[in-house]
Amino acid sequence: MILLVLFSLLLFGCGKFEELAREEDLLERPQAKRCADCHAEIFKEWEKSRHAKAWVSEQFRLESENYTKNKCLSCHAPHQVDPDKKPILRVEFKEDGVSCVACHFKEETKAMHGPLKVWSPPHPSREDLSYLRSNFCAGCHQETFKQWQMVKTQKSCQDCHMPSLGKRDLIQKFPFHLFHLAKPRHSHEFPALKAKPEDLLLEVKDGKLYITNVGVPHNLPTADQGDPKLYITVIVNTPQGKQTIRRLLSAQAKTALEHGKPYEIELPQDIKNLKVLIHRKLSHSEEKELILERDL
Amino acid sequence: MKKILVLFATLGLSFGADQVILKKPPASLGKYYPPQSNRFEYVSVMNEMSTAFYGVRLNINEGRWDRALDWANRLKDAYTRAQNMVPEWKDYFKPALADQLISAVRAKNPDQVIKASRELGETCNKCHAENQIAVKLVYHYPPFATLKMEDPVEFVQLSPKEYMRKLSDSMKALRIFLMQGDVQKAREAGEQVVERVKGTEAICSKCHTDKTVVDRIHGKDHEQALASIQRLLKEPQPNREAIFRAMSVIGQSCNKCHNLHLVPAMVQEAFRK
Repeated sequence: MILLVLFSLLLFGCGKFEELAREEDLLERPQAKRCADCHAEIFKEWEKSRHAKAWVSEQFRLESENYTKNKCLSCHAPHQVDPDKKPILRVEFKEDGVSCVACHFKEETKAMHGPLKVWSPPHPSREDLSYLRSNFCAGCHQETFKQWQMVKTQKSCQDCHMPSLGKRDLIQKFPFHLFHLAKPRHSHEFPALKAKPEDLLLEVKDGKLYITNVGVPHNLPTADQGDPKLYITVIVNTPQGKQTIRRLLSAQAKTALEHGKPYEIELPQDIKNLKVLIHRKLSHSEEKELILERDL
Repeated sequence: MKKILVLFATLGLSFGADQVILKKPPASLGKYYPPQSNRFEYVSVMNEMSTAFYGVRLNINEGRWDRALDWANRLKDAYTRAQNMVPEWKDYFKPALADQLISAVRAKNPDQVIKASRELGETCNKCHAENQIAVKLVYHYPPFATLKMEDPVEFVQLSPKEYMRKLSDSMKALRIFLMQGDVQKAREAGEQVVERVKGTEAICSKCHTDKTVVDRIHGKDHEQALASIQRLLKEPQPNREAIFRAMSVIGQSCNKCHNLHLVPAMVQEAFRK
């Protein structure tokens, strides 16, 4: 097979070989699993992501009133994702959610776009540096993008939510993987991430507890339409006994922690000590996860 | 022709003067409304009938009987489809009257057209009088029973009704403690009011994907009123009247939502029992 490929290359040259190797159905917006024929590892990562579940998630089915809320649909099954533009709803394979072709195939060029320069005989490929910038995500994640802009950080969405995996093969299909060098790869699991204890600054001053988001470059929690929540529990010890103060912060109630803006909680007088617990709950989950527990 | 005009003008809705009785809409109607369908097929067929009825009248008034006949046939077609869509309402329909209207138009007999139209229109009126309000309230508003709200004070999931009860109790507690002069307790109740009022905004987004709609309710005045309550309660001797004024602004926000949503929610709840 390898010899045959090399012989073809010698005989016909790259251009002719590309024509021979072209797989036309790849330019007809195939299902995500078709991309797994070559990009098995990336597909496996994407399969675990919320993007893969964007349409089939039971939470979304319920929240979109059985797919009747038109405004929500196009971001959950986008036809083509472009920087800064809200996509239109895809017609085919909606169950794939935010699929491979939604992000990587462009109608204008009939080619797969991505941040790397690659030679890919089965389909035309274009190097496209917009994939490295936050505004690529802004068409759907509008609110989060606006919050991120306010923070003026150098970190892009991709830096955190598509973490580097080092150099890896882009394809796993014999014999084609033999013709490719490993390239810088970033995770397609799009982890939601959880704030770390050091992302939150806790201070007690003048009878108040101040909680500041110092490490996450957008609101905490953040969402365009989902309803993730942050639960703050403050257990205060006073001479009169224990007292519990609770605060529920949510994106939809506009009470989320803005980056760098202290959130204050009035404390009772004469406190001996206090314990702060902060939990989070994602939109699609019923589970509360502990972010930090601290005694002050 | 004047008779025709007068007749059609009286084919609108008519209800009894003393009472409106709401009957639970049949379950089979749900197929034509969200969440099962967002195409509103039953409303569409009603519009087809209404348009066809007007097509008959319009063309007769212009002396175009051939066109009127075409619309009369369309009316019969839509009427028959509507009859088959909701089996529980089958008896409201009298297809023979639609045939009589067709015959009257074909015969170019205005008196027969008026008679057949009146009788056919009465079948529409009867069904509308008995069902239209209930259908509007049940199917043209989202199902409130499925919504869940999380109480920011106790971290528990509640139905909207339970949540509103707690919010209302917090507001009453604030008022009572202020009137009794229990400042510390008023502060605690005030904090609960603020948190619970803010929490109501999370429920709006369950249906209202357009944020400007929510902002119209929870606008600048509303936000300022909440901030005022918090600020005033921190004073050593809170200004009771100023807090009451701020609470009345919050109350106006409550009214805006209640005026729109409370009646359908109550009707839906009544039908669930």
